[in-house]
Amino acid sequence: METFVQSLVSGVLTGSLYAMIGVGLTVIFGVMRIINLAHGEMVMLGMFGAYWSWTLWRVDPFVSGILWVPVLFLAGMLAYRFLVRPIVPGGELNTLLYTAGLSLLVANLALLLWTGDYRTLNLPYAAQPLRPLGISVPVPLFVAFALAALLTLGLYLFLARTDLGRAVRATSQDQEAAALMGIDVDRIATFTFGLGTALAGAAGVLLVPSLYLYPTVGEILVVKCFVVVVLGGLGSIPGAIAGGVLLGLVESLGAVYVSVAYKDALGFLIFLSVLLFRPQGLFGTRA
Amino acid sequence: MALLELSALTRDFGGLRAVSDLWLEVREGEILGLIGPNGAGKTTVFNLVTGFVRPSAGEARLDGRPLTGLKPHQVVRRGVARTFQIVKPFPHLTALENVSLAALVRTGSRGAAAAEAERRLAEVGLSARREAPASELTLSDQKRLEIARALATGPRLLLLDEPMGGLNPREVEQACGLVQRIRDSGVTVVLVEHVMRAIMRISQRVVVMRQGKKIADGPPQAVVADPAVMAAYFGKRAT
Amino acid sequence: MRRLLPAAAALLLFALPLLTSNQFLLHLGVSVLLWTTLGVAWNLLGGYAGQVSFGHAAFFGAGAYTTMILYLSRGVSPWWGMLAGGAVGAALALPIGLTCFRLRGPYFSLATLAVAEIVRLVALNWESLTAGPVGLLITALPRVTLLGRDLNWERKEPFFAIAAAIAVGAMLAARWVSRSRLGGSLLAIREDEDAAEAIGIDTTRAKVAALMASAFLAGVAGGFYGLYYRYVDPDAVFPISLSVEMVFIAVVGGLRTVAGPVVGAVFLATVAELFRDRFTVGHLIFYGLFMMIVIRWLPEGIWGRALRLLPSRREP
Repeated sequence: METFVQSLVSGVLTGSLYAMIGVGLTVIFGVMRIINLAHGEMVMLGMFGAYWSWTLWRVDPFVSGILWVPVLFLAGMLAYRFLVRPIVPGGELNTLLYTAGLSLLVANLALLLWTGDYRTLNLPYAAQPLRPLGISVPVPLFVAFALAALLTLGLYLFLARTDLGRAVRATSQDQEAAALMGIDVDRIATFTFGLGTALAGAAGVLLVPSLYLYPTVGEILVVKCFVVVVLGGLGSIPGAIAGGVLLGLVESLGAVYVSVAYKDALGFLIFLSVLLFRPQGLFGTRA
Repeated sequence: MALLELSALTRDFGGLRAVSDLWLEVREGEILGLIGPNGAGKTTVFNLVTGFVRPSAGEARLDGRPLTGLKPHQVVRRGVARTFQIVKPFPHLTALENVSLAALVRTGSRGAAAAEAERRLAEVGLSARREAPASELTLSDQKRLEIARALATGPRLLLLDEPMGGLNPREVEQACGLVQRIRDSGVTVVLVEHVMRAIMRISQRVVVMRQGKKIADGPPQAVVADPAVMAAYFGKRAT
Repeated sequence: MRRLLPAAAALLLFALPLLTSNQFLLHLGVSVLLWTTLGVAWNLLGGYAGQVSFGHAAFFGAGAYTTMILYLSRGVSPWWGMLAGGAVGAALALPIGLTCFRLRGPYFSLATLAVAEIVRLVALNWESLTAGPVGLLITALPRVTLLGRDLNWERKEPFFAIAAAIAVGAMLAARWVSRSRLGGSLLAIREDEDAAEAIGIDTTRAKVAALMASAFLAGVAGGFYGLYYRYVDPDAVFPISLSVEMVFIAVVGGLRTVAGPVVGAVFLATVAELFRDRFTVGHLIFYGLFMMIVIRWLPEGIWGRALRLLPSRREP
């Protein structure tokens, strides 16, 4: 029973971070119908940003997010303007191949700069886990969870309450109609790409104390991220959140009750079944 | 006996009943006009007959043998060809290659397919554009190309989804002539169309749909005079 | 002239080992030929049918393991082993195709990625069959005589000849498919899948057939890889990056061209060798960069552009 609760808790905590990466990918897809294969690299960049802030300047990784998240937001907007936008008219498969190239480029530039070593970041307050009700909760993971929840809530309020947020939602529902309503779709697209990238970067910053860090970590993360967004229905933000938590749970429960070796395969199997039998996602209602 | 029979054909999309308990017979050798306001379910009927969409209930039969459950390519091989409301040419291929691919499925030999394609292009009046990539044709030519491609599959029944939409009056005139020639060559035609003038002139029979249901079925003049149709269709258009 | 050119190129290819005995050059040649085969294989599905697979490493790896396991545990000759590798690749492609082709466009691509990862994880964990992460090692290849002489497996020449035969075979097969009825169907599918169905093409069958042919070639190439390096492990033959490299070769060389993958493979192997000495990952940076450049400014690929510049020849 204790094992069960323990895996439940760590599943939800890890899942919240998967959810955030997924939300980043899914807002981009929603507005532009682009599946960004380089999304995992954006997480990786956030991770390295936080890592170096700690290693070089002794700035707490969570605090360093104040710098890195805006930087990645800008980087995302620039990447869209100058790299992605010109090839969008070529069709979705071209975009897919192109972002695969971008992913290869960024990951290996990082490998060149920072070598392939596995790094970990040991925070002083990480040594003693919290022990509420006899279960063990690592402090950094708990802080990350809290911040992720806050950021997601902030994103939700932004999309629901502000004009810019409404414009993003409108564009993601129907680009042509949005354009007819006087929304500058291109600007929204640029902004959204920045937003999605910033979310990925923020997830990276939050993940770094809890995960091994190496330049090609994005490859695994992006695949998990697809699982998350497909579970929830591509383009749906609540879906991505639910999908993230679900994947976290599947992995942590699967590792305990099925097999450690196949916990990743379990996620993929669910991914495939959802793609095949419920392409609108577990929580989607689109006909 | 009817060539095509639809019995109790029904299709739901989520909560929406796009086609609702539709009974319809298409007779050999006629031109049947299928009309109705936008969202009446006309295109869905084509999709149901040709296997692109599965019915929720009911079935379609050709010569008394069920079409329902077949995949689109199997329906084509049974002799039912279609065009699309939003044209779907093979954009990077020439007009001739477009039609040849369709002919190839039936003939199996490249030479025979090319000859058949030439004939079909001539039939729709596109011979002069045979080497042009489909994406560079005008909308009117693309619609004719799609008809030529459908004919090249050797159909007995041809379903045309708004072949005149977006055409100018002269092009509509030509399209009417084409549809009549196709019928005269022995192919039965069902026509979904908004251009009323054309429908009234070339159809032997007109079926009116509204919200997934058939509300009228008869000769064009009788249907136009039907009060239910006036209310549902023309009344709405007049506002 | 046009007919002679490919024949002359093939002749030159087979004569190369007679012209040079530089083992490094021949090794480079072997990797170019191996990559060519993989590019041709991927192109069959990704180029001709427009179905982008990110999971072709699954077929390569399945072929490699099949050949190795058959040789190590049953003593099956590598010749038959490579064919069996292809057959297993094709057999694996059947269920994968039947399920993944229910999806279209990018969804299909994501599904292939997931399938390949599942296959990799199975290979990693099915230790009784694959020895898991330890991998399989061949210590000695069997004695094979050709025209009364023993082949010397310590030298590159015999491998070069085998790789050349596989690559040329793959290209001939691709050419044959592209001109067959199946080729016509794939072309129609790439252009518009609904319209292809509407003219009577069984699109699922055509796509599965293309995938199986493609997987067969990838499986044979995998078998050859196992014999050439005498060692396979899941990281070497099942990684995502391998799938991406196949995509790269076909895209950079030219989608839907028979000879494009040769250009892509030469390019890839050259870049890899040039940079491997200086820094281990430099070539991957360039793969990424070139993939982006080609898609943006040269979407028909290097060989595709060259063909367009040559008059009187069209590959649709």
